[in-house]
Amino acid sequence: MNIKTNNPDKNEIAIAALYHVMDPEIDLNIVDLGLVYETDFKEDSDDIIVIMTLTTRFCPMGESIVEAATQAVQQPFPDNNIQIMLTFQPPWDQSMISEAGNLFLSS
Amino acid sequence: MFLAGNNSPIKNTSYKVVLPFYGYAALSFLIATILMLINTSAFTAHYFNPHTLAITHTMALGWGTMIILGASHQLFPVMIEGKLHSNILAYLSFIFAAFGIPLLVFAFYEFNMGLVAKAGSILINLAVISYVLNLSLSIYHSKSRNVHAVFAFTSVLWLFTTTFLGLLLVWNFSSNFLSINSINFLSLHAHLGIIGWFLLMIFGVGSRLIPMFLISKYENKKRLWLIYALINTGLISFIIMFFLSVKVELYFMPTLLIGVSVLLFGNHIYRSYAKRIRKKVDEQVKISMLSVALTMVPVIVLIAIIILFANVNSLQLVMLYGFTIFFGWITTIILGMTFKTLPFIVWNRVYSSIAGLGKTPNPKELFDNKIFIVNGVVYLFGFIIFGLGIVRTNVLFLNIGAVFLLITAVLYNFNVFKILFHKAKLNEYKNK
Repeated sequence: MNIKTNNPDKNEIAIAALYHVMDPEIDLNIVDLGLVYETDFKEDSDDIIVIMTLTTRFCPMGESIVEAATQAVQQPFPDNNIQIMLTFQPPWDQSMISEAGNLFLSS
Repeated sequence: MFLAGNNSPIKNTSYKVVLPFYGYAALSFLIATILMLINTSAFTAHYFNPHTLAITHTMALGWGTMIILGASHQLFPVMIEGKLHSNILAYLSFIFAAFGIPLLVFAFYEFNMGLVAKAGSILINLAVISYVLNLSLSIYHSKSRNVHAVFAFTSVLWLFTTTFLGLLLVWNFSSNFLSINSINFLSLHAHLGIIGWFLLMIFGVGSRLIPMFLISKYENKKRLWLIYALINTGLISFIIMFFLSVKVELYFMPTLLIGVSVLLFGNHIYRSYAKRIRKKVDEQVKISMLSVALTMVPVIVLIAIIILFANVNSLQLVMLYGFTIFFGWITTIILGMTFKTLPFIVWNRVYSSIAGLGKTPNPKELFDNKIFIVNGVVYLFGFIIFGLGIVRTNVLFLNIGAVFLLITAVLYNFNVFKILFHKAKLNEYKNK
């Protein structure tokens, strides 16, 4: 798992919150699933940008996952403006699942 | 990269478009099994009889086609990686079909091929045209034209060919403008639908979804293209042979091509299963995989029909052939895949706005899993007993099998409508 960030301390808090966001179909959190690529804590504004992907474009559960991710990060950062940016570069594949995620899926 | 939200370029198809199809299909399945129970004797007669035709069209159009239309409006964007072109065309497709199917089924049941049958088949064709137009424009605007999308798109073209031929046959029953006997064209009409529409669509969607649900590392596009070529070559050669009125034995060739494609697809799914990351496979996917195995049953029955064509008993095999397709293969995949798609669509509708605010139920908790499992067992009993009833021309077996299948439809409807009417327990969230 290699999530880019410009603020490791705040990143740790945001990622801890994102661990609570589950992909409802796979029943695995989006961090271990490898959907979260980057967090960007803007210094000149209140914006926190989470750059993430979905397992597939037009994922039927995409809207819920994005909404849940927004709400999850908002909780430890109530005064910030949370923005979720979606990217498909690189597209998600199974190699992005963390070791813990693989362990969960193979159990 | 783009901002997620209401104006996202990857916004999903609205649930309002999709859900009516599921509800309609569930009720059609129930009606088909009721018709079956009160007309079991029809399954001991020649397959060309009003009640069998009515039940077959309820199953093919009301059950199989309606649920595929509904699910594909949701899943087609996943396959082509592009938005559904128009919700209005999707609504039109539903409305035309929703009125057209009962008219056609009623006309068959009463065997009145006049105005009602014509109106029904025109409406069904309008539904299919709306669907073809919607999917064609969606593909035109999308960036990805992969093998799964080609499967699905080709199947849609075959669907139109099927329903248009159906319209001509209905018209021909009363005005005989084709100077042919409509009955002779039934096998062509049926196989355009079974192979061109159902087989291609189910393989196209299944080859995308089943490995996705298993989180499988296996991928083999070349094999999928080969399967695509085999199915279409088989179907086109069948059409040519049909018009050339060749000897029955020659129909082995298209049967063989389709049979090989089914075996290759079964192997493709098996390899996906073997190379899956997700070890725990839920019952819904297991039932869908059983359906892949059941695809081979009609092929075997068809080979038996060709061998025994001169024998009068082959009429019962023809009946068995149709039964294993609509009540076997197609029903099994729908029984499985409904509960792998519908709960997620409804969950999204109910919980997406409150996701992340607290603990939400898992989509799988939107239906009763025990009933789902019992349903699977009851269905298998019904399928086997009714199938035996057809082969042995045994009315008792047919009645018992029909009761089991009716119970299957009741349990299925219970779970489908439990999902459709699911409401969020908002109080739990207000307290958090």
